[in-house]
Amino acid sequence: MVVDAGFIAIGAGIAVGLAGIGAGMGEQAIGAAAVGAMAEDEKFFGKGLLMTVIPESIAIFGLVVALILLFVFGA
Amino acid sequence: MLKPTVMTKVVIAGTKDALEPTISVLHKLNVLHITDYIEESADFKIGRPLKSASKHSEHLLSLRTIANQLRVAEKDPTSKQSAQQLPSQIDEKIVNIHKEVSVRTDELRNLEFKIKEKKDLLSAVKPFTGLPLSLELYHGYETVKVYTGFIANDIENKVSGITGNYELFTGEHDKRKVFALFVPKVFEEQVQKLFQEEHSYVELKVPDLKGNPAVLLDELTKDVYALKEKETNIQSELDGLKKEYSEFILAADEYLSMETQKAEAPLRFATSPNAFIIDGWVPTKKFAELESGLAKSSKGLVQLIKLEEEVKEEEIPIELDNLGPAKPFELLVETFAIPKYKEIDPALFLFFTYPLFYAIMLGDIGYGIIVTGMAMVIRNKFKTGALNGLGMILLLSGVLSILLGVIYGEFFGFPVFNVEHETGILGAGPAIGGLQLPVHRLGSVQQMLVVTLIIGILHILTGLIIGFRNKAVEHDIKHAIYAKGSWIMILLGGVAAIAKLMPSMMSRNGVPSGDPIFMAGIIVTLAGIVLLIKGEGFISILEIPTILSNVLSYSRILAIGLSSAGIALAVNTLSMNLFIKPDHVWLGGGVVLALIGVVILFIGHLINLLLGILGPGLHSLRLQYVEFFTKFYEGGGMKYAPFGYNRKYTEE
Repeated sequence: MVVDAGFIAIGAGIAVGLAGIGAGMGEQAIGAAAVGAMAEDEKFFGKGLLMTVIPESIAIFGLVVALILLFVFGA
Repeated sequence: MLKPTVMTKVVIAGTKDALEPTISVLHKLNVLHITDYIEESADFKIGRPLKSASKHSEHLLSLRTIANQLRVAEKDPTSKQSAQQLPSQIDEKIVNIHKEVSVRTDELRNLEFKIKEKKDLLSAVKPFTGLPLSLELYHGYETVKVYTGFIANDIENKVSGITGNYELFTGEHDKRKVFALFVPKVFEEQVQKLFQEEHSYVELKVPDLKGNPAVLLDELTKDVYALKEKETNIQSELDGLKKEYSEFILAADEYLSMETQKAEAPLRFATSPNAFIIDGWVPTKKFAELESGLAKSSKGLVQLIKLEEEVKEEEIPIELDNLGPAKPFELLVETFAIPKYKEIDPALFLFFTYPLFYAIMLGDIGYGIIVTGMAMVIRNKFKTGALNGLGMILLLSGVLSILLGVIYGEFFGFPVFNVEHETGILGAGPAIGGLQLPVHRLGSVQQMLVVTLIIGILHILTGLIIGFRNKAVEHDIKHAIYAKGSWIMILLGGVAAIAKLMPSMMSRNGVPSGDPIFMAGIIVTLAGIVLLIKGEGFISILEIPTILSNVLSYSRILAIGLSSAGIALAVNTLSMNLFIKPDHVWLGGGVVLALIGVVILFIGHLINLLLGILGPGLHSLRLQYVEFFTKFYEGGGMKYAPFGYNRKYTEE
């Protein structure tokens, strides 16, 4: 049904959107600190990048949920 | 490949007489990584620089000043200067160039100052062109006070309220009202108060000049023009000097840098009053070269000894050793960290997976061709160095993107082969090797998701296996099983269990407890967890979910690709259906509309291409760094930096 498809799309959007906001909030502090550390010593690049992208998995979870919603339940 | 170059620790000892020739030959060979001598003892002190050091660094300093003033930039040399001839002319030439350049730069500074002065005067005189008085009339009175400035409101009424004995001139400059008011000094206080209350009043200082402002303005403008012309002349003289001398400057810089490097080398050696000792590392395959080089130069005054003692892994310098097209990927490895001596060098794995991930994400024939073209331009422009390496990485990625573009059937987002609802440029897609083209990304998200996750599982598994090997080499098999074997079990068991669990849950059949593969998966996972806790402690249980997020992270390969394909599709639909081909008629809305459509098409694809280079590049790298490297790579090695110099502008 069209209404169902609409709800599914809204759900998928919320899943990605909120997860993205959450990941962004997590990354901002870590990213700032990582850049600071890198300014002191460039060798921190690897570790800094690792730390910065840790919260990103939340966004990916949101994405996976959205994809499942759209293509498993939506199909 | 896979392992850094094998290194041999050596000690070079000799008498002081042989110090200079030894330094010379070591520098020329460019193979010895010197370990700095740090701890002084009673017998051995850190060496002193050679006598030539201060002279060379002085020259280098003035040379760099000149280079800075002339803005000499590094470039590929047209011809190389002979290193034999340079020393004889270098002193005199540097002094001469320095003189020529500094005379001109001083004059330039002088001119700049003068121009600024004139320009200040110019802007001070300008407002007075609106008034009919000569400049000398504004000052030099004993009993009259003169006010000049900008003002918005009429003040004549207010002034005449104070005194009838005044003279007011008004005019206009730059759409603002200028005025000059002459009043007897006795009324100064009242008039002053009037201006304080008048908010639109801006005081103008009268420049200390004589004559008609308009004439003065003309003169000053001419002066500035003349000065500027002089400036341009000197600048072009400097440019001429730059053209004439830049090759010499670059070559001399190189020569002096090399000489300073040599002269300061003893600072890294241990020396006693009569002898010196150099500690260092040499790639084992170049040991013979070092040995024969030293034998020739030293006449028996220098001894080269190979040391076979156990040393800490961190002390061994690392030279990564990869072949041809895998070489540029060392750059990505080194950006993350330099591997330790016994670690696996992951550059080769990057060579296989980095362009692949990139291509799966970008996957468009059109974009692929552009990326490949850009890579070729970069490689053509930069024949050596990091940018050349990046060009190679981009080239591989671009070529693979074209290939994936064929599989996806996408050309700038337009379908190459028929897909649902749309006809492709080439009609129905062929089937190659059992694969029916195209694999339409937007239409087969579910299958693509599974494929990306399988890629992720394999990639992580590879990482864990390398990690297992690293741990086994570093410690022992038991350690490796605890630290990495456990993870391999958790990963494989988890995959087996989830692969059976998901479909069953989807069809609402509940947990498939009767399925042997599912049960085996659960058991293997649990066994892995037990091993992990035993090896790494109970706290490690917190880390277990990361393996799930690691695998899911590979879904970004699909996601980035979808967004890129999605943007391309949106741009195409927008420009085609609304502007270029409205209602399926070519140019249905007229030529102007079609042109707007073309502009939209161009800008949209340009943006998407930029995103398409950045996004896949970064995310492919991130998968390597975060998901792959963390499974095995520790890094912490020291880069092999041989004592020597790679000549660019000079030749022997």
